Amino acid sequence: MKQNKLSYKIEQYLMFAGPGTALFLAVVIVPFVYGLYLTMTSWDGVSATKPFVWFENFAAAFSDGDYWAAMGRTVIYSIFAVVLINVVSFALAYLVTRGIKGQNFFRAGFFVPNLIGGIVLGYVWKFVFNRAFVAIFSSTSLLSTTEGAMFCLILVSVWQYAGYMMLIYVAGFMSVSKDVEEASRIDGCTSSQAMKNVTIPLMRSSFVQCIFLSITRCFVVYDVNLSLTNGEPFKSSTMAAMHVYNQAFTYKNYGLGQSEAVILFAVCAIVGVTQVLIGKRGEVEA
Amino acid sequence: MKKRVLAILLALVLVLALAACSNGGSSGSGSSGDQSGEKVAITIFNSKMEIQDQMQEMAEEYSKEKGVDVEVYYSSDTVAAHLSTRYASNDPYTISMVDAKDIYSLAAEHAVDLSDQDWVKDTTQAIAIDGKTYGFPVCVEARGIIYNADAIKKATGADFDPTSIKTTADLKAIAEKVGTGVMKEDWSLAAHYLAEVYEQHDDPDAFIAGIKDGSIKLADDEKFNKMMDTFDVLKENNYAKDAAISAEREVTEQKLAEGEIGLMFGGNWDWSVLNAYDYSENMGMMPVPNDVDDGSSDKLVGGGSKYFFIDSSDNTSDAQRKAAKDFLNWLVYDEAGQDFIVNKCALVPAYSNITLAVQDPLGASVKKYADAGALIPNYNYLPDDHYAKCGAIFQKYLANEIDRAAFADEITEYWSTAEVGAH
Repeated sequence: MKQNKLSYKIEQYLMFAGPGTALFLAVVIVPFVYGLYLTMTSWDGVSATKPFVWFENFAAAFSDGDYWAAMGRTVIYSIFAVVLINVVSFALAYLVTRGIKGQNFFRAGFFVPNLIGGIVLGYVWKFVFNRAFVAIFSSTSLLSTTEGAMFCLILVSVWQYAGYMMLIYVAGFMSVSKDVEEASRIDGCTSSQAMKNVTIPLMRSSFVQCIFLSITRCFVVYDVNLSLTNGEPFKSSTMAAMHVYNQAFTYKNYGLGQSEAVILFAVCAIVGVTQVLIGKRGEVEA
Repeated sequence: MKKRVLAILLALVLVLALAACSNGGSSGSGSSGDQSGEKVAITIFNSKMEIQDQMQEMAEEYSKEKGVDVEVYYSSDTVAAHLSTRYASNDPYTISMVDAKDIYSLAAEHAVDLSDQDWVKDTTQAIAIDGKTYGFPVCVEARGIIYNADAIKKATGADFDPTSIKTTADLKAIAEKVGTGVMKEDWSLAAHYLAEVYEQHDDPDAFIAGIKDGSIKLADDEKFNKMMDTFDVLKENNYAKDAAISAEREVTEQKLAEGEIGLMFGGNWDWSVLNAYDYSENMGMMPVPNDVDDGSSDKLVGGGSKYFFIDSSDNTSDAQRKAAKDFLNWLVYDEAGQDFIVNKCALVPAYSNITLAVQDPLGASVKKYADAGALIPNYNYLPDDHYAKCGAIFQKYLANEIDRAAFADEITEYWSTAEVGAH
């Protein structure tokens, strides 16, 4: 049988990648395209009819002040959270690859928060902020002020993701061969110089990956937002994803909510892809 | 060799996972038809989470006794969103339990006209649209101020008589001694308290229309101001005055049950939480007193809560519809059905022929007001985003971020673009 015939190629493709492709089409592509169609209807989410309105929803989305306020909040939250997550997780990874006693235990310990679902985690921290801290410091709850609620969200997100990102950085540290670091030390580098000039550049792909993951996750944060603050006080901690959900399901403007979700997707994709492109540019292949 | 075994195992696991998925997918459906068999099967959608266990138990017994297969389903999704997916897949429930406003949006397309049923004459809470009755009220719920009479007695030294509270000043005298709990949830503030401002007007439709077109200035409205005066009394004597916005309802309810505070705005549904504590039986509900002389200080606000409707689509057979109607009649006229509503589920019945005593003290208060005709009806047509948006504004007022004038302005601003639901 000729192996470069088209039918052969198709057959082979279907055999190996067919199931995956079918699933991907069914659960990602089709809903996405259907979602795009829904952005052009004024569907309320319940009714049997879906009136077609072209781009009215996008016009409404661009003039929805609450949405853009939530979006601005999400950007601020993401900037703080992404920087902190990566600084903390890098520091943790550094600590648990130094060969300290019980380092596997610490690795596991730092990773555990990531195993707890965001909803549960939010409720646990809500209890800590609202009851435990209030009882210990006899102050008012951090969650009752606008800035405090934001601070709590960032803190909990950092706590949640730092362990996960730490694992990627640990892998990065392990992948850097001891030889090059030792060579730099023989050439006269101090340990911080070796870190800065040898180890970190070689770990660049870990950084690209971690920053990409943390950006995309922070932009669409929902579960922690829901269980920790639920947008309170007075809707001042509603993130973009939560606003989209409320718009579509609670306020029953499904079409409008869907188009706001598409805008959120676009923003998230642009930021994420730009970051990866910039990050990849200087990557060292070792 | 080892690798191959591993690969085969992995493949097996994946296949099993897929098989499990497909099983899960099909188990939910397949209960719609059944016209051919001699046994009729009906499905009931329950949206009242706290009675799901009782519903399932009842379904089992009902199936045994009446020879009708009853399956009860529950979903934590938004009611309307869940039903829309069932309708989209042509697999609706025979009977669905929904909120009042869902009847208005769903009935025209999906519900059977129940006007000819016996129970219609025994209730004042059924929902009719254009003269046709579609909604079967499951129970009555009402809002007002929940009091703990023992706590008040301890604080004032005198027996507490809820009917003696007629004015805001009366409430203030008690509140200063015993302390209050104030809700901070957007639904409680906007959908329950602010809504009372609309509902206590003779014609809420006209009042809201007046706010919309500017002919009524909310800031100058007597009812609004008097109700806010009463709210201020609750707010000033709040046990968590400095952190009102982070006071969790469960904590407030615990304090009320344990007698640390004596008053709280809420409804008889709060009993499910209050009941969990070492409570005093001497609790009850009283109207929100306000200084407008229109009798509203003698009335709770409330009415039917949760409605059953029967599916009208071709997916439901006439035999199923008949069984569904029989079931609704069973709830109202059969002793077992009455017992189920009043004793098993601890709900306040919406039917005048049901004379069983309501067990919980809050429900008993509601029943007393309902029987006396002292319930101001719910206004079921507020826009879907009303509770969230106005709730956020109300929360700012509660946290002293804005004053009453700014509060009225922002509510007016909200109404400038909002539309009430069709009715």
